Amino acid sequence: MRRMSMFPDADPAHAAFTEDAIKSEMENEEQNLVKELVALSTTDQIRKIRELPMSFKEKKHVRTQVMEFKSSKQSHQFTRLSDCSRNMSLSIRRFGYSIKSARQTLELWHGIMKEIGGKFGSSVLNYFVLLKWLLMFNIFSCLINFGFITIPLLVYGHTPNITSKVGFRGLELLTGAGYFNYTIMYYGSYSNETLYGLVDYNMQLAYFFTIAVYMVLCGIVLIFSMASSFKKNFALANPASNNAWQLLCSWDFSITNERAVNQRKNNLRVQLKESLSEKAHRERQTVSEKLKHYGIYIGSWLLSTSLAVGCGVSIFYLCQYEDKAVDTETWSLLQEAETLLVPFVVSLMNMVIPLFFSLFNKFEHFSNQRKQIYAMLFRNVILRMSILGVLCYYWMYMVPQKFTCWEPMVGQALYRLVIVDFIFLMLGSFFGEFLRNVIGTTLQPRLGVPEFDVARNVLEIIYAQTLAWIGIYFSPLLPVIQILKFFILFYIKKVSLTRNCQPSQRSGRAAQMKTIFIFLLFFPFFVGALSIVAYTAWSLTPSEQCGPFRGLNSTFSVIGEWIDEVDKIPGSEWVVWIYQNVIRSEIFYFLVTLIILVIIYIFWQLTQGRKELIILLSQQIVNHTKQRSAEHSNGRQSHSNAVVQVLLARQQVEEEERRSASGVPVPSDISTSDAMMQAMLARQKAERQDEKFYEIPNEHPPSLDAVALSMAARQRAEEEDEYWSITDFNQSNPVNRFGMQARQRAEGNREDEPNDALSPVSSVMTQVMQARQRAEEEERGQSTRAPGQNPAPSGSSALIQAMLARQQAQNEYDDGY
Amino acid sequence: MGNKQTTFTEEQLEAYQDCTYFTRKEILRLHGRYRELAPHLVPLDYTNNPDIRVPLSLIVTMPELKENPFKDRIVETFSEDGQGNMSFNDFVDMFSALCETSPRELKTIYAFKIYDYNRDNFICKEDLRKTLNKLTKGELTPEELTLVCDKAIEEADLDADNKLSFADFENMISKAPDFLSNFHIRI
Repeated sequence: MRRMSMFPDADPAHAAFTEDAIKSEMENEEQNLVKELVALSTTDQIRKIRELPMSFKEKKHVRTQVMEFKSSKQSHQFTRLSDCSRNMSLSIRRFGYSIKSARQTLELWHGIMKEIGGKFGSSVLNYFVLLKWLLMFNIFSCLINFGFITIPLLVYGHTPNITSKVGFRGLELLTGAGYFNYTIMYYGSYSNETLYGLVDYNMQLAYFFTIAVYMVLCGIVLIFSMASSFKKNFALANPASNNAWQLLCSWDFSITNERAVNQRKNNLRVQLKESLSEKAHRERQTVSEKLKHYGIYIGSWLLSTSLAVGCGVSIFYLCQYEDKAVDTETWSLLQEAETLLVPFVVSLMNMVIPLFFSLFNKFEHFSNQRKQIYAMLFRNVILRMSILGVLCYYWMYMVPQKFTCWEPMVGQALYRLVIVDFIFLMLGSFFGEFLRNVIGTTLQPRLGVPEFDVARNVLEIIYAQTLAWIGIYFSPLLPVIQILKFFILFYIKKVSLTRNCQPSQRSGRAAQMKTIFIFLLFFPFFVGALSIVAYTAWSLTPSEQCGPFRGLNSTFSVIGEWIDEVDKIPGSEWVVWIYQNVIRSEIFYFLVTLIILVIIYIFWQLTQGRKELIILLSQQIVNHTKQRSAEHSNGRQSHSNAVVQVLLARQQVEEEERRSASGVPVPSDISTSDAMMQAMLARQKAERQDEKFYEIPNEHPPSLDAVALSMAARQRAEEEDEYWSITDFNQSNPVNRFGMQARQRAEGNREDEPNDALSPVSSVMTQVMQARQRAEEEERGQSTRAPGQNPAPSGSSALIQAMLARQQAQNEYDDGY
Repeated sequence: MGNKQTTFTEEQLEAYQDCTYFTRKEILRLHGRYRELAPHLVPLDYTNNPDIRVPLSLIVTMPELKENPFKDRIVETFSEDGQGNMSFNDFVDMFSALCETSPRELKTIYAFKIYDYNRDNFICKEDLRKTLNKLTKGELTPEELTLVCDKAIEEADLDADNKLSFADFENMISKAPDFLSNFHIRI
């Protein structure tokens, strides 16, 4: 019977059930479960049944019972209606299942991803998952662009009246200029008229809204996935529990490759050894070493930022230098090829400069691997953003002044960037993985086989996607190129991975890295692309002679014109009103921002309060368990003496104290006789703390108690030999020795103890007080809190008397715990 | 979608679909895999619910389980007799609980059972020691083993009873976001 009992601390002494009793209890539970399930809706029922931690047979049994129950309940009522509804829900469910099946057959690359995940683990798989996700974005974009912009133009529109003066030369595939310039590839060829076909199709509005809606949808999807990822992987994650995590959560069950498994095992062993030895000698850095470290950090950051800025500036001058021809129609082949210079340099920089960054990395020492990855990512992001930023500035400011039809030029530039980036990605895979593998295996075996650098690759595809996002406005068919690019890239990377790379040796926190990647995708890159497009649409003047927005002041004024037209339609004043007072007014946005800030502040305070609550609750759990175990240990012994309770409780606390004070391992089979001695010591410590708290002169010399206790302990040890199963415990000597030690320590100096023993000591005192209370009650012959406790033997030993005497003395100073 | 198959009745397939996270196609595929393990033992026709169990030694030869350090424990946990002999129902149940869409709570319950070697509803130091042995190929010294296990218990034990109850384990898992993606076997 596999049913999980969630209450494992049922006292075994009470497990005197007969078989029938057990059976009836089980059936009872099952009936309750069935009743609970029947009350839910069908989808909830199925979900709950699936989540039951029972064997399949039992689940099926529950399910049949639920179905019978429901059908019997319904058969009393409107039979035909209920039949109908039941059949309908059944067929809906079947339909849902078949859709799920169909979706699986269509699911792209399912088998390949399984293979990669099995061999290389989830962090490498994250790269491919992200690649597939971005591919979906592009497929969606391509579909809506084709559907709403291109096809209506092709079917109903007029052919553009500017025809190309050059024929198709092969170079267009690379440069995007020339023949392609006047095709539907670019913005310039889209007309600004209203097409009259089946409906009046306003091309301007279609273009604007398609792009806008696509960007907004992308943003929403990214925000939602980022938020859910953050919640799962950061907010609830606890970075502190390292050992337990490594032991119980870090093993990747989906790895099936033997070599990978062995490597992970080795790596885990090495990590554990490292972390064990770290405790032994924490690095103590001198001031000069610290200064040196900080100097190196600052130096490398300055260097990398200046490299990035330098790249940006050089790209700017390069663009200006290259920018010669005004008339794009009569470019020679050479001139056209020269346009490839800028993308070439950009991609070269993006490939080479990160190598410098990793060189800096070798000199810096980061405390853990994750900080290293974050630093590297940050530097790469700065590099790429600065280059892109400079390029965008150039496109927004310089290009419109030089060309009459400037949007297609920008579109061409982006096309070139995308294509050259693709070529360099392939080259990078060749050099980074294939050659590196060759070097690592034959020329320099010390280097070894390379691992797949997930962070660098992810950044590359994020950058590629950013180019596509910027380019959608200027070149609506760019997503097609992007789809091809990602598709081919997937296969190239997969082949390169399986041939050249070895599985990652560290079992890192893949889920957190995935969150960081999605965040990166959203924050600098998507937001940047969106702002460029928004800026273009809002502020820049569209070109006069080409494109769907020709003649307007800005792209956004399309909306204004449309609203004017809508105004003429009666009954639509609300639309106009919304436009005037909500979208175009600044007060609205100001108010919304203010409200959002207030809400954020409230939620933040809520989070702080919850954190404190968590701390309180965990402390309560600890206290509760200690109390419970103290009571249990009461119930279990026949000699349930208050003192022995105290000793046992103190034994636990003392173990805890020793564990927390020093890193010395506590042998798990600590013999209880030892424990009693330790308990005595703990008690002495407690006494000392007691005295510190209350600052009273010592009424009873501690030595008296120590000796009394040691005598009693010896007595106890002799009496209860069979209970404690002392094997080679030399009874007399250690007792006296510890007694002497305790006395010495008590009489000795009362230097301040480190404060970290405070909380266990205070709980020691709680235990002591409780035990004393019980002793009191015992003496009075009343029933105590602990059930099943036997009364103390009437022949109370010197111990009890000593306890009582002490108790009376303490009662004067009792704070009333 | 109706494929002509004679392995299961429609009701059986629906029951499988309702009680596990698999679709119809996956269930048929799983049956194929199950049969591959012991073709002479497992019949093609399951319509009359034959009571066939494939022994542990054959199940752990599956490529998905072969290299897993916990393969024996996994199979034992999901088998009805607790010894590792799995019927097809247990087989489907096992992969369903370990699949991608299985919820965190279910995975936590089964992970706890898997790590609890002596089945006393607690993960004590001995259980942790065995786990650690399996994970490091037994190459740590006994002192290191003890040290690591002690530290692990110290970190995760909320109620200070020197062993991990289910509540402690669940608390630790809820703070480990990787657990869902790690505790996952693809079939």
